[in-house]
Amino acid sequence: MKSVIPMDETYAQRIWRLFKRDRFAFIGFCIVIVFFIVAALAPFLANDHAIVRVADGSVSFPVFRSLEPIEWRFLLYVPLAGLVYGFRGPLFLRVGRGLWIVAGVVLLIEFALFFHHSFNDVTNDRTLPAAFKLMPPIVYSPIETSPDQLVPPSWKHPCGTDSTGRDVAARLLHGARTSLAIGFISQSIALLVGVSVGGMAGYYRRWVDIVTCRFIEVMECFPTLLLILVVVSLCDAANNMIIIMVVIGLTGWTGVARLVRGEFLRLVGQPFPQAAQALGAGDLRIIVRHLLPNSLGPILVTATFGVASAILIESSLSFLGFGMQAPTPSWGDLLSEARKYIDFAWWLAFFPGAAILITIMSYNFVGEGLRDAVDPRLRVK
Amino acid sequence: MRSSFLSVENLGIEFGPRDNPVKAVDGVTFEMAAGETLAVVGESGSGKSVTALALTRLVAEPPGRYMSGEIFFQGQDVLKMPPSKLRALRGKQIAYIFQEPSSSLNPVFTIDYQIREAIELHRPDVRDVRGEIVRALETVGIRDAATRLGDYPHQLSGGMQQRVMIAMALACQPQLLVADEPTTALDVTIQKQIMDLLKDLKRTSNMAILLITHNFGLVSDFADRVVVMFRGKIVEQGPTAEVLRNPQHPYTRALIECVPKLGQKQHRLRTIDYAEID
Repeated sequence: MKSVIPMDETYAQRIWRLFKRDRFAFIGFCIVIVFFIVAALAPFLANDHAIVRVADGSVSFPVFRSLEPIEWRFLLYVPLAGLVYGFRGPLFLRVGRGLWIVAGVVLLIEFALFFHHSFNDVTNDRTLPAAFKLMPPIVYSPIETSPDQLVPPSWKHPCGTDSTGRDVAARLLHGARTSLAIGFISQSIALLVGVSVGGMAGYYRRWVDIVTCRFIEVMECFPTLLLILVVVSLCDAANNMIIIMVVIGLTGWTGVARLVRGEFLRLVGQPFPQAAQALGAGDLRIIVRHLLPNSLGPILVTATFGVASAILIESSLSFLGFGMQAPTPSWGDLLSEARKYIDFAWWLAFFPGAAILITIMSYNFVGEGLRDAVDPRLRVK
Repeated sequence: MRSSFLSVENLGIEFGPRDNPVKAVDGVTFEMAAGETLAVVGESGSGKSVTALALTRLVAEPPGRYMSGEIFFQGQDVLKMPPSKLRALRGKQIAYIFQEPSSSLNPVFTIDYQIREAIELHRPDVRDVRGEIVRALETVGIRDAATRLGDYPHQLSGGMQQRVMIAMALACQPQLLVADEPTTALDVTIQKQIMDLLKDLKRTSNMAILLITHNFGLVSDFADRVVVMFRGKIVEQGPTAEVLRNPQHPYTRALIECVPKLGQKQHRLRTIDYAEID
């Protein structure tokens, strides 16, 4: 019989192969990717500034004028990350070598952004005359009000408008950024805390473990949403987004910590950490370079579910009115507005609700698919 | 200051509750000269592995406790070293090979990466790391080493994995190689290959080798001297030929008789009668 499984596939390759076989997980993964692209390109998909404008014999790109510094950062840092990733060799070496280059470029970008002024001009390219102009697919910005209030979905406004005449489709697209940013950054915080705390508990065991476990149990006694509400209401509303990210992250790490602790307890019992120790590796090196890579699969699975739950928490917060501040679009905020007009303006509730549903479902499918793929008990083939 | 290469004096290591401890190693004293091959022989649980691990203070505390004794390696008291010096000692001067190569290698990294780590840790001044890795793999008899660099441990056979472990240990050019039952997890033909490899290494380098085994068969044509351990104590030590020809202690005699001999019809191998020894 001919074996169809290549013998020399790496761990990542085999996970990907097993993952792809789960149809729902794969569809979920594609949807997540689409949401990513939409979120990344939101200013180019929904904006009242033209992408390209030719007038009076000169070419301009007005869309860039509408970008906030944070969006500039995003646009510039993503290729930078790709560049760093492109270095040859193991990840740790790559980061080590690339660090100086990255630091230099980051400084340069930050220096430029220091002098950058967001124009946020009211000029609106929809009505401005031009020899040629390429507008984004949705020609409204998410914060732009108009007299067309509570208009049902039409060709002009594919998802209708809200009570101040803002285009719901534009707000949805830009809201995807808020949701994804909160989901990922808060989960990164949760992972950082959870992996460090759980890793310490699992590696050092004894009293470190006992103290950590009791602390986790205390943390898990607090109702998360209530805790977040208290912290958010105590904090300055101006940088609400950062506060929400930090708070969701700092309340969501317990699951990760428990998981990492369990994984480490299992791995420390195997001979290879001792072999590393016999080679002269210190505790930190054993934890970071030997144990952590071996528990990456399960960590990734929890992180995926965590992103979904963080998005859901943010939506709940915004719905309750403790989330994003007024002009920043967020899916939960859109829903909370929809409540007032729910008896006739169905589109206000339907589209953001569907967006939340599809995103959460996609993440959960991806998480389940990953969980099955990394589960050693299911490794029949 | 001790002048010898390695000297262990009155080493005592305990496990378990303080009021009723298990004395894994109990007053062990032996010496090793530079370049010498010493075999520590004994049954499971006789304290040979714990003794070997203690040489670089690898017995975890807790659960282990160093109750007494001194270990001098080239004049330095190992048990009094600060952690940073211990780390510099491990791998660089005293390297280990363990029993189960399949689980002693990190399953998620390529062999290239793992040998690289050993070199990174102790020889940061090496320029041509890749060349050094290939050389280490060729020393242990892996042909076409350059093409095997990207392999993961699970893609190699047990014998190959053990060769990689030995290559890792050799990469830092240690003065003492501790081989803790290096062939126990391997089948007999591979066992012979690995022992032949160790013999070659012994001949070509002036590295001292401490071989831990329960098999007297491996010892006879390998070790210069033998230490026989029983229940945490050394019951007999001396030049290999002498101990094999004329064992003094009843346990040593029993252990030698445990090895099946070719051409002899024996229905049942002799088991050790503890009452007779105590």
